[in-house]
Amino acid sequence: MDKRRFLLVLQREYYSIVAKKSFILTTLLSPIIMIALIAVPVLLMEFNRSDAQVVTVIDQSGRYADKFVDSDDFKYSVLPDMSSSDMKERFMEADGDIYAILVIPKDIDQSHTVNIYSEKPVKMSLSREISDILGRSLSEAKINSYDIPELKKIIAESNISVEVKSHTWDESGESLSSSELATVTGLFLAFLTYMFVLMYGAMIMSSVVEDKTNRIVEVIISSCRPMELMLGKIVSIALVGLTQIAIWSVLLSIGMFILSVTGIFTSSPDVAATMVAGGTQMPEMAAGEMPEIIQAILGVNWLRLLGIFVLYFIGGYLLYASLFAAFGSAVDQQSDANQFTMPVMMIIIIALLIGQACMENPDGTLGVICSLIPFTSPIVMMIRLPYNVPAWEIITSIALLYATAILFTWLAARIYRTGILMYGRKISFSEILRWVK
Amino acid sequence: MEFIEVNDVVKDYSGHRALDHVSLKVKEGTVYGLLGPNGAGKTSLIRLLNQITRPDSGEIFLDGRPLASEDVMKIGYLPEERGLYKKMKVLSHIVYLGRLKGMTKSDAYREGRMWLERMGLEEWADKKIEALSKGMAQKVQFISTVVHRPRLLIFDEPFSGFDPVNTEQLKKEILRLNEEGATILFSTHNMASVEEVCEELSLINKSRVVLQGNVLDIRQQFKKNLFTLHIAEPVLAPDDSLFTIESITPHPLGGSEAIIRLSKGVTIKETIEKINRAYTLLGFEEVLPTMHEIFIETVTESNGQA
Repeated sequence: MDKRRFLLVLQREYYSIVAKKSFILTTLLSPIIMIALIAVPVLLMEFNRSDAQVVTVIDQSGRYADKFVDSDDFKYSVLPDMSSSDMKERFMEADGDIYAILVIPKDIDQSHTVNIYSEKPVKMSLSREISDILGRSLSEAKINSYDIPELKKIIAESNISVEVKSHTWDESGESLSSSELATVTGLFLAFLTYMFVLMYGAMIMSSVVEDKTNRIVEVIISSCRPMELMLGKIVSIALVGLTQIAIWSVLLSIGMFILSVTGIFTSSPDVAATMVAGGTQMPEMAAGEMPEIIQAILGVNWLRLLGIFVLYFIGGYLLYASLFAAFGSAVDQQSDANQFTMPVMMIIIIALLIGQACMENPDGTLGVICSLIPFTSPIVMMIRLPYNVPAWEIITSIALLYATAILFTWLAARIYRTGILMYGRKISFSEILRWVK
Repeated sequence: MEFIEVNDVVKDYSGHRALDHVSLKVKEGTVYGLLGPNGAGKTSLIRLLNQITRPDSGEIFLDGRPLASEDVMKIGYLPEERGLYKKMKVLSHIVYLGRLKGMTKSDAYREGRMWLERMGLEEWADKKIEALSKGMAQKVQFISTVVHRPRLLIFDEPFSGFDPVNTEQLKKEILRLNEEGATILFSTHNMASVEEVCEELSLINKSRVVLQGNVLDIRQQFKKNLFTLHIAEPVLAPDDSLFTIESITPHPLGGSEAIIRLSKGVTIKETIEKINRAYTLLGFEEVLPTMHEIFIETVTESNGQA
């Protein structure tokens, strides 16, 4: 390995991808699309909300009409009791100005039923709103009817929810931890490794194939060693990936900031939170629980988690990247590569599935085995990590991963230097194995 | 001293022997031809010289020392399968390859610009390679090969795909580099170009060297005692004691032209004297076989043996 040539290759490969129009577009447009995916539904909801619909309330019981307060979506107007034929006539005359007519019967206290009339089936949100308003009012009326002093207070006090605080012991003593936060972080990091290997592994392969179809490769390897070219590609594409992720993080943060300033983000925290968590379950944290969150954040050993993540990330990437480079060198066209990459892709996908299963049972046999096998360990171990995996397991797993990654890089280099000079033949798996010898 | 010395080299590719005990020597400053039909082993030998692959047995010396990894800097190689990074700019591409061969950045830029100017491409320096015509791209490939001023230049079928004008320009540049001291190794199956530029050659067929030496010597060695004879008379009578007539045709400038084969032991002098007495002799010249004929003859012969 000549460091100077390696760096030259690295530099060229990096710029050749980063300067591509397709790369620039993907890098800039993806966050915009993601922000749009968050903002557009919220904006649409805002937009629909602006014209509140009129709901006419006919309160035969005479006790609940005043409970209906106009909301963002519905305006309530009260009318005196009338026959159902009058009601229909009134509705038709309004010609769409009245969205629905709500009839509260005299016996509502017993029947707990109201009727609503409209042209089309009413929106879920209206049914929910009516049921909420009347439910609250009815139970309040019921409580009042018992005529027991301070009953309300008693009920409020007896409404108890239990909070589970998780503590872990280690050498340094006891610390409050949030297993949920650690779990989510672990899953997120595993997912990051998964995405990174899939996306940028494919990029390595197409870069190798491109060199071959360009017929440039023989010129290049008469100037530098195949190993320098291969590692230059692998490392440069890792840097490309990190660059892309860094730009995405910055753009997404800016986008989120703009959304929250303009009020879109806050008006629909559910949607936003779901999007941010990438569909994973965020631990439920209301605003009032801020100190708890901080405590939970402090409870996770970030240095350990991130340190181990970096080790698994690099090892896992190197392992898969060398496979992709080796297979890329054996084919003339991108489309021919599928026979080799399919098994590799399958292994990565299976690793993620096993990892998710491990969240239920972190110490199961399958989880333990797969967090030792180098092909699955970068993903599975990251998910198991928050559940106090013994140190020897982690050390063995990382040692195995690096030993395998180095072995495979070496094997891949042997395949690569033969493969890149092979043209016009379909290469079989067994032939690749022969090149290794 | 020999500049390149290949000693008894063997190279096998999974069950197929690409080079079978091949040896050759190239003096510094010469133009050396590596000939042979497709698949004979020329490219395998060139890849060994470029250290793209290593021999299974045998040795290769460059400049008196065993081939070492830093020697790639002394070599410029234009492979038959040549390409360019299409998205790169012309000058950047040349500079990149120059730097890979050990040039400093500023040297690479200076030499790159000089070559672009020499080849009439200076206006294209900042254009992307995909915008170039095929001929221009070939010139860029050539510049990329020579920009680091290598002492040894290896061209694998350099003129394939070049138009006649570019071929001439390229030939001129190659010969100029040779005059400036570079050793040139040509690999080709185009015999005409070999006759024109090469001083020495090796003919490889089926992984073995079947013919080796100085081009003129080889042609002498293969000569068939044939002569062209131009006389003013329309007919030439055969003279069995001296020669046999291979063919006789009217000469465009009048008279007739005959190709004769001298009999064994007959000297040119006595033939000329004899003919001169009976005819008006206008011209007499020995016919040397072309490299093309020698190539075909040797290859056919060695295939027959195998």
